[in-house]
Amino acid sequence: MEKVDVIVVGGGLAGLSAAYGLAQAGLEVMVLERGDYPGAKNVTGGRLYTSVVRDLYPELWEGAPFERAVTREAISMLADGRMATFEIAAEEFGGRRPQSFTVVRAKLDQYLAERTGEAGGMVIPKMKVDALLTEGGSEASGAGGGPGASGADGGPGASGRVIGIRAGEDEIGADVVVVAEGVLGLLSSEAGLRERPAAADTALGYKEVIELPASVIEDRWHLNPGEGAAQLFMGSVTKGMMGGAFLYTNRESISLGIVVGMEQLRSRPDELESWQLLDELKTSPAVAPLIKGGEVIEYSAHAVAEGGIAKVPRLLGDGYVMVGDAAGLSLNALITVRGMDFAIASGYHAAQAIAAAKAAGDTSAAGLAGYERALRESFVLKDLQTAAKVPALLENQRLFTHYPEAVTKLMADIFTIGPGPTEKLSKTGFGGVRRSFLNLATAKDALSFRKI
Amino acid sequence: MADILVYSDKPQVARELAFKGREFAAELGLGLSAAALGPESAAAAADLGGHGADRVFVSDDAALEGLPTDVVAEALAQIAQEAGAEYVLLGSTRRGKELAGRLAQKLGAGAVTDVNAMAVKDGALVGWRYALGGATVAEERIDTPVKLFAVMPKTFEVGAPQAGAGEVVTPALSLSPSRVTVGGRTPREGESVDLAAAPLILGVGRGFAKREDLDLGRELAAALGAELACTKSLADFEWLPEDRIVGLSGAKTKPDLYLSVGVSGQVQHTVGISQAKIIAAVNTDKEAPIFQLADYGIVGDLYQVVPALMEKLKSL
Amino acid sequence: MRIVVCVKTNYDLQMVRVKGREPVLEALPYKVGDLEKNALEAALQLREGGLECTIVALTVAEANAKVKETMKEALALAADEAVVVNDPALAATDQAALAAAIAKAIEHTGGADLVLFGEGSTDNYSGLVGSRVAELLGLPQIGYARSIAVADGAVTVERSMDDMIETLQAPLPAAVTVVSEINEPRVATLMNIMKAGKKPLTELSLADLGLDAGAAAPQKAVLSNLAEEQDRKHIIIEGDAATAAAGLVDALVKEGVLGR
Ligand SMILES: Cc1cc2nc3c(=O)[nH]c(=O)nc-3n(C[C@H](O)[C@H](O)[C@H](O)COP(=O)(O)OP(=O)(O)OC[C@H]3O[C@@H](n4cnc5c(N)ncnc54)[C@H](O)[C@@H]3O)c2cc1C
Ligand SMILES: Cc1cc2nc3c(=O)[nH]c(=O)nc-3n(C[C@H](O)[C@H](O)[C@H](O)COP(=O)(O)OP(=O)(O)OC[C@H]3O[C@@H](n4cnc5c(N)ncnc54)[C@H](O)[C@@H]3O)c2cc1C
Ligand SMILES: Cc1cc2nc3c(=O)[nH]c(=O)nc-3n(C[C@H](O)[C@H](O)[C@H](O)COP(=O)(O)OP(=O)(O)OC[C@H]3O[C@@H](n4cnc5c(N)ncnc54)[C@H](O)[C@@H]3O)c2cc1C
Repeated sequence: MEKVDVIVVGGGLAGLSAAYGLAQAGLEVMVLERGDYPGAKNVTGGRLYTSVVRDLYPELWEGAPFERAVTREAISMLADGRMATFEIAAEEFGGRRPQSFTVVRAKLDQYLAERTGEAGGMVIPKMKVDALLTEGGSEASGAGGGPGASGADGGPGASGRVIGIRAGEDEIGADVVVVAEGVLGLLSSEAGLRERPAAADTALGYKEVIELPASVIEDRWHLNPGEGAAQLFMGSVTKGMMGGAFLYTNRESISLGIVVGMEQLRSRPDELESWQLLDELKTSPAVAPLIKGGEVIEYSAHAVAEGGIAKVPRLLGDGYVMVGDAAGLSLNALITVRGMDFAIASGYHAAQAIAAAKAAGDTSAAGLAGYERALRESFVLKDLQTAAKVPALLENQRLFTHYPEAVTKLMADIFTIGPGPTEKLSKTGFGGVRRSFLNLATAKDALSFRKI
Repeated sequence: MADILVYSDKPQVARELAFKGREFAAELGLGLSAAALGPESAAAAADLGGHGADRVFVSDDAALEGLPTDVVAEALAQIAQEAGAEYVLLGSTRRGKELAGRLAQKLGAGAVTDVNAMAVKDGALVGWRYALGGATVAEERIDTPVKLFAVMPKTFEVGAPQAGAGEVVTPALSLSPSRVTVGGRTPREGESVDLAAAPLILGVGRGFAKREDLDLGRELAAALGAELACTKSLADFEWLPEDRIVGLSGAKTKPDLYLSVGVSGQVQHTVGISQAKIIAAVNTDKEAPIFQLADYGIVGDLYQVVPALMEKLKSL
Repeated sequence: MRIVVCVKTNYDLQMVRVKGREPVLEALPYKVGDLEKNALEAALQLREGGLECTIVALTVAEANAKVKETMKEALALAADEAVVVNDPALAATDQAALAAAIAKAIEHTGGADLVLFGEGSTDNYSGLVGSRVAELLGLPQIGYARSIAVADGAVTVERSMDDMIETLQAPLPAAVTVVSEINEPRVATLMNIMKAGKKPLTELSLADLGLDAGAAAPQKAVLSNLAEEQDRKHIIIEGDAATAAAGLVDALVKEGVLGR
């Protein structure tokens, strides 16, 4: 079997970030991506928190094809035909070093692939990996152990050493395989490196890209050129199911999508599909004017891991490391959906650790252990740890039904002048607040909110 | 006086060019010359004169035997010079396209091939052709002193010939023999179809796994009363003859119904069906590009859908 | 012996989107042209047939950042080395200027005994470049090859014309264009793709070839380039084979295109 230093399975942000670092370190690295080109199959909402990855590959972000720096944040609650929006525009979001940018994956991933190529890495699109090969001559087949339930506890891989990959007729060996195959983890679960994500820990994302001229976007969201808006929608948009919708403004398009819990969606009797929910949002009076005149130029569906830190598998073993969504490194904390920053950071730390392991001549789990240490010290595992309670919180139905109803009702009451005598504001407002927000259930919710 | 010079080794295409060239020449205030080369040039000369050429340049120089591209290009370059040609119109057949590049290079001329429409605009001829594999139609103008257009066969109609017109000129050509020698020629056999005129077309592609399976396609075509057509891939396999190809390098069709089965719908194919009134498609892959162009689609296996279609057609 | 395969790297046409009626050509991925893959495969088969040769893939591009990456595909498929003429002056050029650059680049990089082309490019398909280069280099040419054999200083080609199959022979050096039926290009193996990154790639500008920017000026003007209007219904008929088939036939009858 012919052999290279490192094979990266999957050319998303995690895989490319690893490959870029490895190529820079002078290792012979091959990225295999099944899509027509990097970014072709990758779905994201559209916002990258650069604040946390900026220092990792400083030279990379200078010319990166970002869309808009997010300077306006909004949350909209929807219920009973009402929409209440809370919005904040803050100078500190933008400025010279904006905290986040909207991105289009087709552009960002290709950019990273090009930089990787320039650094001497080989990014090979249209190449699907069919199996991870493990020691003992067989294709990895789920032998031995399972993923560490507590996650991220290092130690040896579940099965024999990972020694390479098979793609079609080709079998290629590698000192280290970087598993960056994304959320479904088909190859790694097949190889016994992790479990398939359960439906309960998975949400379904559906997204459309709607083209609009830059000037229209800037007018509709009150933006200066180069600035962008992020807006989240909660409440009736998911019909009470866990999840919400998002809207991000790109340069000349907007990304509009919805994320709903897979299990809740599937257990509905009405065979509702996520795109139907998005369609309802798009035609709702509150959102329709925002996208008026826009043409849908792209749509895609993709899973989102919601298991949190508890479902992070072993991050490395003999001859392999897991990065990005493949390692469950994503965070859905209601207001923020994060995964791209984790993907980039995990790829970065994987590259550093692999380079060190190669230099030391030890690519066993012990030799690669620096990867996990680095992740623990970085925001990746720290933020996931901080948000450990989020998944349970998200199961709280009231978040998606009661609160949006209460908030929108309250706001509507405040602004309603009916045919009869108008009640005193203090009475409408505070009466509503008391009824909706000060009761046993909400008090419990308040307690759990404080934990995140 | 400047001229339009027309030439094609195919007599019918030469007539088309001459007949339309006459009209353009009148509009532009130019003369019309034609060239007839090779052993049968004398007969062709009279024909071209009858179809509108003021002058027909005739040569049966021995070097022209078999019409080798390099020698024909040289002959036409010398004739164009003598005729003072401003425009050269060729037929956009394989031979014509090969000739176009060589001749244009000799004449310092800009060239447009595969032209499917032409017109006079602002005192100059412009041509239309497909670009981007057929996704778009480009309108092109040539800015060099001598301009060359290679026009697809059947782009222009031919009117009734006029008797007696056309002066025959025998130019003094200086030609050396071709460096390319002919070892053999085998005409393509088989019946020929005119897909461009067919009202119902069944298009088949690589979704058919084996050559024998095409019988299924033939049966469906018969049941529909449709002409059978194919993608280039199937012709490359020699499963069907080349004149059944629809697309950029095949027929541009305009049927009432184009039903495609097992065709992915790459742009080089769909350029040949975009004028169809109704397009229907059967393909296992719901992402296949053909569905973006279809009025009706079935996402399914042709080996199940085609028999089911035939079953249903029996009831009509 | 040196075989130069001229390769156009072009947009992945499947990715071209039409907006209004204008094609949107930004941020598209590039590919080695389809017929050029046939030409590369043909060169490889000549070598596998025992011909000792160096295979050079040559492309001319408009200072396109992706071209070197794209040419790795040619190196992985067949070529031993690549020559890339990359110059912003070529951004709005046409076949005459391209042919001039190709001819000069061939002369500049060691000449050629056999120059292979596609019969037409995947996107523009004018079929002009091969003939123009042949004339510029004073080479005998044979277009539309469906088989190629090289022996005793000559190339013998069976070629596929509209109405006949011809067998022609020309002394080397010669120019040959190929049709897609000549072969089924193989898919590059992973290791070959990996090795492609390490094969020599020479990048040249027009100035390196002794050409000035004026040499890239087009002889033609594109007055418009628009997609034809398409208004289709996009109805997917659901159900098992029998239901869907019946539904389709009913719909077509209703449209008045069947059963008249
Ligand atoms: C709807 C939605 C909204 C989101 N919003 C945000 C957001 O706003 N901000 C944010 O930071 N994150 C967001 N995320 C999460 C973020 O998109 C992911 O965490 C991130 O894309 C993970 O990157 P990755 O490289 O690990 O995986 P991916 O981007 O999924 O890449 C995996 C790659 O592996 C390839 N692959 C898989 N199997 C194989 C195989 N067998 N052979 C070869 N290649 C293979 C795939 O084609 C793919 O390119 C969102 C996710 C979704 C679905
Ligand atoms: C310069 C140039 C000119 C060209 N000119 C032409 C031209 O004039 N005409 C032309 O046709 N092509 C032309 N081509 C080729 C064109 O690009 C495509 O390669 C070709 O049209 C593809 O043919 P296809 O659809 O049969 O095959 P494929 O692209 O392989 O598609 C086969 C389809 O069948 C489907 N399928 C598979 N199994 C089944 C099943 N059991 N049931 C139903 N569906 C199934 C698959 O999903 C797939 O979509 C040209 C190419 C070039 C470069
Ligand atoms: C509307 C329109 C806009 C255009 N805009 C541009 C533009 O902005 N920039 C631009 O570069 N072109 C542009 N072109 C295309 C350009 O005019 C031709 O595509 C180009 O000159 C090559 O000619 P061809 O594609 O007809 O090649 P053909 O003559 O059909 O190609 C035949 C063979 O020649 C060889 N060949 C062709 N091109 C190359 C090459 N570049 N390098 C090496 N070998 C080659 C290959 O072997 C190919 O198979 C445009 C064309 C149109 C119609």
